[in-house]
Amino acid sequence: MSVGDRYGPTVYERVQATPEFGDLRRRRRRFVFPMSALFLVWYLAYVLLASYAPEFMAIRVAGNVTLGLVIGLLQFVTTFVITTAYVRFADRKLDPAAAAIRQEIES
Amino acid sequence: MSATAVAALTAILLVAVASTVIGTMGHRARRTSDFLVASRTVGPLANAGAISGEYLSAASFLGVAGLVLREGVDGLWFPVGYTAGYLALLLFVAAPLRRSGAFTVPDFAELRLRSRGLRTLCSVFVLVIGWLYLLPQLQAAGLTVHIVTGLPIWIGALAAGLIVVSTVMFGGMRSVTFVQAFQYWLKLTALAIPAIVAVIFFFGSGHTFDRPAPPQFAELTTVQITAGVELEVPSDTVVTVGPDGATVDGAAADPGSVLRWPAGTTHRVEPDGDLVFEAGTDVPVPVGKPATDDRWLSPLAGSGDHQLVAIYSLILATFLGTMGLPHVLGRFYSNPDGRAARRSAVIVLAMLGAFFLLVTLLGALSRFYTPQLLVSGQTDAAVLLLPTAVLGSGAAGAVLGGVVAAGAWAAFLATASGLLLSLASVLASDVLPGRAVADLRIAALRLATPLAGAVPIVLALFVTQLDFAESVALAFAVAASTFCPLLVLGIWWRGLTARGAIAGILVGGVLAAGAVAVGLAGVVGEGLPGVLLHRPAIVSVPAAYLSMIVVSLATRKSRPANTDALLLRLHAPERLGLFRDRVERNDDPVDAS
Repeated sequence: MSVGDRYGPTVYERVQATPEFGDLRRRRRRFVFPMSALFLVWYLAYVLLASYAPEFMAIRVAGNVTLGLVIGLLQFVTTFVITTAYVRFADRKLDPAAAAIRQEIES
Repeated sequence: MSATAVAALTAILLVAVASTVIGTMGHRARRTSDFLVASRTVGPLANAGAISGEYLSAASFLGVAGLVLREGVDGLWFPVGYTAGYLALLLFVAAPLRRSGAFTVPDFAELRLRSRGLRTLCSVFVLVIGWLYLLPQLQAAGLTVHIVTGLPIWIGALAAGLIVVSTVMFGGMRSVTFVQAFQYWLKLTALAIPAIVAVIFFFGSGHTFDRPAPPQFAELTTVQITAGVELEVPSDTVVTVGPDGATVDGAAADPGSVLRWPAGTTHRVEPDGDLVFEAGTDVPVPVGKPATDDRWLSPLAGSGDHQLVAIYSLILATFLGTMGLPHVLGRFYSNPDGRAARRSAVIVLAMLGAFFLLVTLLGALSRFYTPQLLVSGQTDAAVLLLPTAVLGSGAAGAVLGGVVAAGAWAAFLATASGLLLSLASVLASDVLPGRAVADLRIAALRLATPLAGAVPIVLALFVTQLDFAESVALAFAVAASTFCPLLVLGIWWRGLTARGAIAGILVGGVLAAGAVAVGLAGVVGEGLPGVLLHRPAIVSVPAAYLSMIVVSLATRKSRPANTDALLLRLHAPERLGLFRDRVERNDDPVDAS
């Protein structure tokens, strides 16, 4: 079964033509791409730090806990924080904008 | 049979019974979509529990702890990657794919590029990836049974395979979601209780890892060598050969003979022998692994070659591979809308993080309590052996050991049943004949299930057993080299063509799967090629992207005509109303793929 040919092109073209829709796409891209770059840099930096600055990573924070271990565990936290940020962004910026465009199209 | 074995087998049985009961309490599957995607009626928390329950497999449960035991901080890369892979999936693929209405990668491929050939190729790789992922799960179930009862690993693996095939065939097609959510909480409990107990004992012992010395045997320890291992001796060591004898440095040693190993030497021990170490002896570690506790706490402390390449390759595989796992994608459809799907994703990440922190903690503690695993090579058994190592083999240790074994079994059931169902549905709809007839649909699924299960069972009996975490990462590498470029380019680039996609999947898939096949056949390479055999992603992923883009550009005339409208639908937020729920729209009761 194929999906995608049930809707006429008109409604797409109308939506695509609106400046609000272009704005919506830009907003999403402006968030998603820098954020992905940021998190990749952060993960890769950890590996680089570990291989080129082992003394830094071996600094003791407390007892058994080294700086390397803390940064390693922070990677989980970062992943969680970025996801939360994305969800808030989508709820606050993307959904209302999409709702507004829909209203305009239907009215 | 020991008290631990009885307790563990009872606990495993209870898990199986509880899962079945919860499964039958849920509504019966009325339509195909009911058991494939639970008709999108599940709340975000239950759904997140189900996603986590299915994703946190037995192999990751046991494998990550084992890696942390041996590799230290570097072992963290696996759980970090498994978790971050979800983020990549959420940012780039989840919402557009959901709006496309395709349940699976083959569905998406056909919808986007209108090519039956591409669809069939995707189906083949769904099976390859699923089987690769099931293989360590079966081995992990086998190891659990082996640790608990002493039966050979293959018996446990075979039994586990048969149990999963029969549950999916006869009862597993009902509301799997709640079963998996239950299994997530069970797994978390099974890890949290021993972790808390072990932490209390550990701090009570006054031990610290902050010292430039290797771990030590706490008591007279007999180590069964199950896999050939090359050991590095940290200090002058006296070893007695156990009652089974041993083959050391190429020569057979008689039971009872005494070997003296000077500090700094390396010794090759062949499988099927045993060695006895006195209490207080420094534990030899496999060559190239961090020997002393303080090195073990520092990143990249081992002396193995090309560690950077190995880690980058692993990061690439886990980040990009998660989106291509057959059982992960479909789960995003069990949410009522995109908003709930995003909510689920956040809860999933919190759940995965909590789970992996516990696993890491257990792996670290096992370096103190079960260091003999470094010698035997069976580091994957760390979590399973920790309770009795901490509490002794009395009643308390037996009960706690039973809880952990039950958790491992829950992990196995949750992943294996979900995955087997995905594979069976791909087999039934794309490979077996008679797919169009509604009545045949359920029958075809029943028929496909044992077929889908037979391959990994046979593999589990014959191929070399790698570390579980490594083995799971191979499935991620193949997924990252095939489905990741297809999904990302298919969603974000209008220039993709069917021929380009086929070329990319073939190049990436053959490179990655080829490396995996050679590795599983037991070939161990030296230097960089050796690293790439186990971690092929750093070569195969760019190769796949590159060939997909180049061939697409070369065949740009064959771009599907409706690409623009389709891409607009993928990217227009749901509130625009351009997207309508594919399942709701479906009047035919049993046609969903």
